[in-house]
Amino acid sequence: MKKSALPCRESKPMEKENSAFKPPVTNLKRRKFLKNSFIAIGGLGTITGLAVNNVFAGEQTAASPLKDPESFADGSHLERMRVELLRALEKPVDQRKWVMVIDQQKCVGCSACTVSCNSENNLPPGVVYRPVTKVEVGKYPDVSWVFTPRPCMQCDNPPCVSGCPVNATWKREDGIVVIDYDICIGCRNCIAACPYNARTADFGDFFGLETPEIMDYETRPNFEYSKEWPRNPGSHESPIGNARKCTFCLHRVRVGMLPACVTTCLGGATSFGDYNDENSLVHELVGSGRAKRMKEELGTAPSVYYLI
Amino acid sequence: MLEIALKGSKKYWVWVIILLAAMAVGAGAYIDQFTHGLTITGMSRDVSWGFYIANFTYLVGVAAGGVMVAIPCYLHDYKKFHRITVLGEFLAIAALVMCLLFIVVDLGQPIRLFNVLLHPTPHSMLFWDMCVLNGYLFLNIIIGWNVLESERNQVPHPKWVTPLIYISIPFAIGIHTVTAYLYCGLPGREYWLSAILAPRFLASAFAAGPACLILLCYIVKKVSKFDPGWEAMQTLTKIICYALTTNVFFFLCEVFKAYYSNIPGDKSHFNYLFFGINGHNGMVPWMWTSIICMFIGIFLLIVPALRNNKTLLPFTCIIVIIGTWIDKSLGMISGGFVPSLLDHVTEYSPTGEELVVTLGVYATGLLVLTILYKLATTVKEEVRG
Repeated sequence: MKKSALPCRESKPMEKENSAFKPPVTNLKRRKFLKNSFIAIGGLGTITGLAVNNVFAGEQTAASPLKDPESFADGSHLERMRVELLRALEKPVDQRKWVMVIDQQKCVGCSACTVSCNSENNLPPGVVYRPVTKVEVGKYPDVSWVFTPRPCMQCDNPPCVSGCPVNATWKREDGIVVIDYDICIGCRNCIAACPYNARTADFGDFFGLETPEIMDYETRPNFEYSKEWPRNPGSHESPIGNARKCTFCLHRVRVGMLPACVTTCLGGATSFGDYNDENSLVHELVGSGRAKRMKEELGTAPSVYYLI
Repeated sequence: MLEIALKGSKKYWVWVIILLAAMAVGAGAYIDQFTHGLTITGMSRDVSWGFYIANFTYLVGVAAGGVMVAIPCYLHDYKKFHRITVLGEFLAIAALVMCLLFIVVDLGQPIRLFNVLLHPTPHSMLFWDMCVLNGYLFLNIIIGWNVLESERNQVPHPKWVTPLIYISIPFAIGIHTVTAYLYCGLPGREYWLSAILAPRFLASAFAAGPACLILLCYIVKKVSKFDPGWEAMQTLTKIICYALTTNVFFFLCEVFKAYYSNIPGDKSHFNYLFFGINGHNGMVPWMWTSIICMFIGIFLLIVPALRNNKTLLPFTCIIVIIGTWIDKSLGMISGGFVPSLLDHVTEYSPTGEELVVTLGVYATGLLVLTILYKLATTVKEEVRG
């Protein structure tokens, strides 16, 4: 493997690596208490939304909600995932395993995730990390849409990685498949190799290309891989010319924020967390008996599960 | 020996200037593509490889097809091919130059081209493709040059060239096999995910390569005093006939598999190519043209009277080239990507600028070919004169 200065090559716990962003949680003592409460409750039975609720309900009086975001706890799905995320970040990178679970019964097909993803990563026309496809099933009057949001599957056996002729893409220890924009030559072999259409080429298009002016928002940098990547028409700077993909919002995750699609999901259909954490929501959902993975027969072993 | 290329008739120079002009126009279009990115092409999210890679695939076949002259000549000492073997090798060189150029113009970040060498990646088929293509190119340059030089000096070629000649034969098969592996090792792409893809590529290559060579022999005979020999061409036509028939047979095997098994994913690509899906039928006329051309080609090549007709043969070759070109370039790319993995039908057609860049690459290849053939024919005229 080559040496790259890109911060996406993590080898130590995130607390030490990141200086640009401060994790929102600093009160380690209190977190330890939290963890202990989790274990205690876990010992009594499985963690239900209610149990979590109780834990946080007690917390709310401890600190001012404004100073300590964790005390916003209301026992919601989102809050549980956020706390679990922070807990996972305390572990070394190689002990985390990020997994996404998408509940198709809860998905209403609003595409808010697609929009928030486009906005979070400042995606140009033609590049989409998380489209939502819909299929009509049944006949009137018993007919319904089945919605399938499709992020990158972050496969355990990623065909895109073996296709890359320059080692510009690899699977991190925590399961996220990343691209080194500075090495990628834009051959698009990985795009052809991905059986989920999860990779897109950035051909250098702009919404304002045919208009008199390209607006500011288009050239503003995105923060993928915790680095600023401005996009300017007529420049050869990455990410123009590169392959691009969903990273489970790695840049957000490593500072303790959930992926943009997860926080925006209206129906609470998308869950995210550390599968190595036995008490996590995703661990619970994957074991629910409803979880399926897309194109399992191809042997790619995706990290995205669908509850159908 | 290169000085030969600097002396030529008026026609020769006019042709060279035309090619240089075409190259300049192509370069202009490429500068625009370089500045604005591949967004000036017709490629999209669903169809991420286009006309460049399509032509690349076809030309790898043309380069590999040269081995159909080399095998009889060097392995079987088939005397009638001795005169044209160097033409086959030089055709391979020109085709490979175009292949490499097509890869470069297709890159999103062409400046980083040498990352392929800086970060060698043996698990990628593209890396191996780069290795075999360059290897075959250098082998052909060394072999062709030395054989021609020896012919000029009327001595047998140096002994050390012989092992290179033998190595070049598996390399020729290798370039097209690895190119097929670029496609057929990808999970989920049903149209390409076929064990028969590499054999099919080779079959079509062994038709396309010799067909190009026959055409070039006709041109050589017309513009120079060198006669490649009618008998050699007759043998080539038989090779084309077998190869083309095999290609069509392999294709029909694919069609049978898709439709008899009735697997929607396998059928959908053939449906798109030959019948269109939901009114998206841009490829339909092309694909039927290809099939008709290949069948007509087989007919013209099987019937001895038609095969041995000197006036008809160039047209037969053109028909074969059109048929195999559509089949392996446009058909292979569009068939593989459409409908997409999410079952969307996004059609692809190259933009004008893409065509101009392609023209520039072809002009460059033709210039290389012209110069090399000028050397070869002049040397052969000298020797025989």
